[in-house]
Amino acid sequence: MAEYSLETKPSKSLRKRLTERGPMVLYGILFAACLAVGIGFHFQQWSSQVPLSTTLFLLYSAVTTVGFGSLWLFLRRYYRLRQDSPAKTLWSLLITGFILISLAAITSRIGRIDAPGLDLGLGFDLNTGIALTFPTIVKMVVISVLLILFAFLLLNRFQGLVLVKRSKTSQRNWNVMLFSMTLTAALTLMNTPGAGQSQWQNMALAVSVVFMVVNSFRLSWIVFLSFKEKLATIGLCLVFATFLILAFGIAQFSSDLFVIGGSGFLQHFFVPLATFVEQASLFGILYCSTAFLSLLFHLPTSGDYEQRAGERATMHSLAHLVGQVFDAETLFATIASAPVEAGSADASWLVMPDPSSGSLRHHVVSSHNISPDRISELVDSALLVDEMTAQGDPLIIREAPADHRLNVRPGDQMGSLLVVPLIARDELIGALFASKAVVSGFERDDVETISIFAAQASVAIDNARLFEQQVEKERLARELSIAREVQRKLLPQSVPQLPGLSMAASSISAQEVGGDYYDFVQLENDRYGVIIGDVSGKGTSAAFYMAEMRGIFQSVSRLAATPSIFLHHANMALAQTLDRNVFISAIYMIVDLKNETLDIARAGHCPAAAVRLSGESRFLRTKGLGLGLDRGDLFLKSLEEERINLEPGDVFVLYTDGVVESRNPEGEEFGYDRLLVTIDENRHEDADGIHSAVLSDLKNFMGNEVYDDDMTLVVLKWHGLPLEALSPPVQSMEESK
Amino acid sequence: MSNFSVGFRTSGSVQILDLHGELDAHTAAELEAAIQKCQQENQVRILINGSDLLYISSAGLGVFMAYIEEVRESGGDIKIAALQAKVFNVFDLLGFPMLFDIMESEEEAVEKFSEAKAE
Repeated sequence: MAEYSLETKPSKSLRKRLTERGPMVLYGILFAACLAVGIGFHFQQWSSQVPLSTTLFLLYSAVTTVGFGSLWLFLRRYYRLRQDSPAKTLWSLLITGFILISLAAITSRIGRIDAPGLDLGLGFDLNTGIALTFPTIVKMVVISVLLILFAFLLLNRFQGLVLVKRSKTSQRNWNVMLFSMTLTAALTLMNTPGAGQSQWQNMALAVSVVFMVVNSFRLSWIVFLSFKEKLATIGLCLVFATFLILAFGIAQFSSDLFVIGGSGFLQHFFVPLATFVEQASLFGILYCSTAFLSLLFHLPTSGDYEQRAGERATMHSLAHLVGQVFDAETLFATIASAPVEAGSADASWLVMPDPSSGSLRHHVVSSHNISPDRISELVDSALLVDEMTAQGDPLIIREAPADHRLNVRPGDQMGSLLVVPLIARDELIGALFASKAVVSGFERDDVETISIFAAQASVAIDNARLFEQQVEKERLARELSIAREVQRKLLPQSVPQLPGLSMAASSISAQEVGGDYYDFVQLENDRYGVIIGDVSGKGTSAAFYMAEMRGIFQSVSRLAATPSIFLHHANMALAQTLDRNVFISAIYMIVDLKNETLDIARAGHCPAAAVRLSGESRFLRTKGLGLGLDRGDLFLKSLEEERINLEPGDVFVLYTDGVVESRNPEGEEFGYDRLLVTIDENRHEDADGIHSAVLSDLKNFMGNEVYDDDMTLVVLKWHGLPLEALSPPVQSMEESK
Repeated sequence: MSNFSVGFRTSGSVQILDLHGELDAHTAAELEAAIQKCQQENQVRILINGSDLLYISSAGLGVFMAYIEEVRESGGDIKIAALQAKVFNVFDLLGFPMLFDIMESEEEAVEKFSEAKAE
């Protein structure tokens, strides 16, 4: 892999370099060729000492234009992808310019005779404008190329500055300026060197100056400079402008300081180029001047700007940080300290209502650089939060010692105070207080910065709460599923198999846990107890009483001779623990297999359905109060008991109200009649058959409705006892454990 | 959501609560609040009119049990009147008629209150 990349990398970059450099090489060759041809024209002119014919002059103009056009394209391509800092751009341009101008200056001084008081001219025929000597041509060409190169460089480098944060308009303005500069230059094509400019040419020049000014105000890059960079750039601009003024001069006042006769040589070389260079230098001077002035004005605010930017950056990173914290204490501390950490305040604190204490009054949950006691001494936070809520905006107190709402005296290190709300999902969850030692310490952008932070902090707090709730919810779900398992074990795991008696039972809870109960117990002398119970209400509290009911049943049932006695004991036991608004309805039956009897007592429970083989059906509605309704004698007094002599085919169905009160989608209840009919229709089945018939009937009836109550169903069927079966019982619940 | 409501009326010195809709574990709190309000206003002769009560669950019945003792101790009573047959059946199954005065009509119940007062 590594070797492969080693092999491919050079070839790839070579190809890239070729495609990038290819046109540049072409431009270079084109420029050199055109320059050589141009020199040829001048040489021809010199050797003949006759000005070129119009045709030849136009040809020369075309060749020179193409040549320097290539040079422009060459530079443009070279600088296209450069992304230098403004200071570096100016700096490198200054150095390059200095070198180029120096070279031109030296060249201009070679072979020159300085005679005070005598102007020997530049070495051109004053009438024809033709070079007098061959070295003059060389001098002219060298100086011109150096000056033009510098002008082109200047424009190309400044383009990078002007087009920082470019828009369509700025790009267009720049192009228009270049175009008008070129046009102005082209208009001077037929001018003789040194001649003045016509009205048209001046007008064209005015147009390009207008666009130069427009482009000179594109100074966006200044904003991004630091204070030090600004200082350095100011110096550079000043030096550069001075340099340009001295080197090129304004209207040639000082043009001979560096390059003697620079402009003259250029004009003799090619007038339009001279005009172009002049404009370029003018633009350079303009741009440097505006940059210098602009920097000068920006300098005083630069420090403030940097401080603000620093505060904002800190706030931003803190806002990011609070998004990562889920622990409430840490989160509050981080939020409370943020305004101070960011340098926007001298002290800050966070207030929130405390839901655990049930109070909606805001109190300090975390503070920074000030103690909670000190805060309550100086400020009534809750009152200010109310005021802020009332006005619906951050509350700014400019002069804290003078504000009647505060208990602040001068010298308390609290000159001004800012209160911003913390709002999550349209609800005020708290407020962030920031104070400064000085009065009027909070400006508009301080308020904005802290408000934005507060908004982020609110989201973070809200997230942390949701996270906590989620954890709590999962914990509860886990607890409930454990409770469900425990409760399932409180119900019989299987139904006892008894001779002559078939039984079936089931219980469904609407929630994880419920208050329904059923159980079986083996008593002495082939007697069996069957109980069904229903704790009022649903859910967890019902489940606890159900468990208690089971405890009572398991311990008391064997001692109670009759159902009434058991229920009486159960009522006594429950009276001590049941809440006043809770009661338990129950039915207790004792089946005597030997004597073929069934004793039943009902404590407020839905009456058991009894169906005989003949189809005779009824509810066993003996009198009796629910367990826990009366804690005195009334319960026992009210309780009736019925004895039924069992006949083969007798069916008894015990159920809880969830069965008869189940509703279909139309809201109709299953009801007692439907239950009795279903049992009657299936009375020839055994207990299992009847049990599943009732359940499926109920399911059909309910359709898509969900169970909203606990439902328990216990079915007993007496088949009659074969004589030989009156042996020891097969198996009971107790033994199966 | 809640399809249960309590209306307040008075008939002489009797505070009448008209129950509408279904009284179950979710709506029981509303009846509790109503009875508490009566207690606070010292209106302890409370008559529950159940003519518009469509359903009552065991949790609903629990509300009566929760307050009857207090109300009776402070010299008042909770009487229940005009229950629909199906709802009365639920009261009856649990033996409530043994604990509460459950009348067929509101007038009877008001009458009963004034008898008690006369004594």
